Amino acid sequence: MDVRLETAVSLTKPWATETAEPAPYRLDVSLERENLLPVISALFAAEWGYLSAITGVDLGTAVGVVEVLYHFCEGPCIVTLRLRVPYDDAQIDSVCSIIPSASFFERELSEMLGITIVGTPNADRLFLPDDWPLGVYPLRKEYVMQG
Amino acid sequence: MTLNVTQEWQGVLDKIKNWARINSPWAIHYNSGSCNGCDIEILATLTPRYDVERFGIKLQGSPRHADVLICTGPVTRQSRDRLLRIYEQMPDPKFVIAVGTCAISGGVFQGCYNVIGHIDEVIPVNMYIPGCPPRPEAIIDGVVKLLTSLQAVPESATA
Amino acid sequence: MMTVAAPTTQKSEKFIVPIGPQHPALKEPGHFEFAVDGEIVTDATVRLGYVHRGIEKGTESRNWAQNLYLLERICGICSHTHAFAYVLGVEQLAEVEAPPRARAIRMVVAELERVHSHFLWLGVGAHEAGFDTLFMYSWRDRETVMDLLESLTGNRVNYSACVLGGVKFDINGEQTKGILEGLDFLEKRTHHYLNVIQQDALFLQRTRGVGVMTQQQARQLGVVGPTARASGVARDLRIDAPGQHYNDFNVNMILETDGDLAARFVVRIRDLFESYRIIREILSNMPEGDLVVKRMPRKIKAGETISRVEAPRGEAFYYIKSNGSEMPERIKVRTPTLCNMASVLTLTVGQHLADVPMILVGIDPCFSCNDRSVTVTQPSGQREHWTWEQVRRFGIEYYQRQGGQ
Repeated sequence: MDVRLETAVSLTKPWATETAEPAPYRLDVSLERENLLPVISALFAAEWGYLSAITGVDLGTAVGVVEVLYHFCEGPCIVTLRLRVPYDDAQIDSVCSIIPSASFFERELSEMLGITIVGTPNADRLFLPDDWPLGVYPLRKEYVMQG
Repeated sequence: MTLNVTQEWQGVLDKIKNWARINSPWAIHYNSGSCNGCDIEILATLTPRYDVERFGIKLQGSPRHADVLICTGPVTRQSRDRLLRIYEQMPDPKFVIAVGTCAISGGVFQGCYNVIGHIDEVIPVNMYIPGCPPRPEAIIDGVVKLLTSLQAVPESATA
Repeated sequence: MMTVAAPTTQKSEKFIVPIGPQHPALKEPGHFEFAVDGEIVTDATVRLGYVHRGIEKGTESRNWAQNLYLLERICGICSHTHAFAYVLGVEQLAEVEAPPRARAIRMVVAELERVHSHFLWLGVGAHEAGFDTLFMYSWRDRETVMDLLESLTGNRVNYSACVLGGVKFDINGEQTKGILEGLDFLEKRTHHYLNVIQQDALFLQRTRGVGVMTQQQARQLGVVGPTARASGVARDLRIDAPGQHYNDFNVNMILETDGDLAARFVVRIRDLFESYRIIREILSNMPEGDLVVKRMPRKIKAGETISRVEAPRGEAFYYIKSNGSEMPERIKVRTPTLCNMASVLTLTVGQHLADVPMILVGIDPCFSCNDRSVTVTQPSGQREHWTWEQVRRFGIEYYQRQGGQ
């Protein structure tokens, strides 16, 4: 394992519920939702990489969970923080207080998958048109494209 | 513009206007959802190798000064109103050129949730230039063909 | 009553300048609103989505091969980058490795694309500064690389060079000769441009010390690509994460430390020399062999992967998840401009409104179409429409006045 990934393992260890290495140079760390901010603070304080993207993946109506992935990159290494957000309590803490540039990623996540970002500085729409119906989230699996 | 003149003089005026328009059409370009490819090729037609200005064609910013609207890309929900507004702000007679496959049919973006459709579902189109993206030569050819067609048609028919 | 009214009138001196919204690529189109106090920008916000088409959702109803052509049309400037990142990801999932010759050809196209993109950007940057001569010259020279790309791929913009498991075309001896000749010409011109942007006093007035981003800021804002490298942050995926592609060929890191607009120009121009060198090296060591793997499965094994490619503008990030069927479960695309956009909002605060067009262009946000409308809203409710051209003009005239004093 790359030495940078080892650092990341030890940084995230106190909160990680599961740690996996799915491919070379990649580390997946599963977390409980409420531990997101402490983990990101720890990575940020140690200047470990930068927040490259936030991905939301709908696991389907049968499961009723959206998986939110925070990808941190440093050189060839990618650390992915995995959180599970259920449909019926779809909210997550904003990381903008630590990483201000995450605002765009959070706005996209919120409008595309219907997750409320608690404490984000700007919750306006970023990509969807002004007349887009409220409560319709295009990247949810239940949304089916017409035509 | 219609002045209170005799039929004969109106005909002469129309001829002069048509002559001026054909010799120096001003165009505005609007991208309603394109991937940028067609837009770059339109910009390339202005640069030294193709130099469309030698035909008197000028690309400029305000719809109020434009004779020709050059559209690229499929129409997205958010840009539909913009496209209509630009079209309505243009003085009559006005002509629309749809550049690229997406502008003509929606192209690869057919069925995407934020795409309404192609240009002529929103505004009338006079000239279609196919290609993904069309080469600058094709764009110039399209504009010239549009101008040639104007020569044959009296203005009262196009207004 | 009169005395009470005084502070409110003073307050109303501040107004909002919206710039936008027309903009080409997937995530780049932006409608900016700059709050200004006199000449100085005090706040900036952005609204994207005018050209949002829903490509990520669209990929879920197309098969793996069809998606290649959809994703290639995310952006007409770096089309190969998107195809490249996508095929890398899918090949990882399918546990297929493209043959060495195919990998080399992919890199040649990627570097030629970088050359065309930087020339394009140099022209647009010069245009925003009011230096249209440089705009016309750089676009004239850009036609050389467009010819090379067309002779290789048959298209000037959407090359379709990559297919799943390989590439679509070969490079023969005649084409190699053509590329080398083209590069010799471009290299000569690039030396000239490097001179111009480093020595032209009027141009330097618009770029030196403008929009400075320190190394610390660049790290905090998470900027990528040449924008980061101009601030001394060594971040280039071709070096950091070479993967199976750039592993075979050595790439040098191009760094500048000033962090201002001038540095962003210099980094990209020096990047060009590096690209020329890489292309020459690849062409002279072209591996022999197949162009496509023998068998690429129609259904891709279930799993998820991340692939990253250094686009001309920085890191393009792809997250691909497969459920084992003929169509992907989820594809997430993060383009470099989204990373760099936050830096624009931060950098413009405290700067002159006249510098805004240049700072926007400094990150190379695919700002290539000329006409954008701008609305100047005054608190009284009066709206005055500005075109992008007028803002540009405002900037140029502002500096002419400054120079005259």
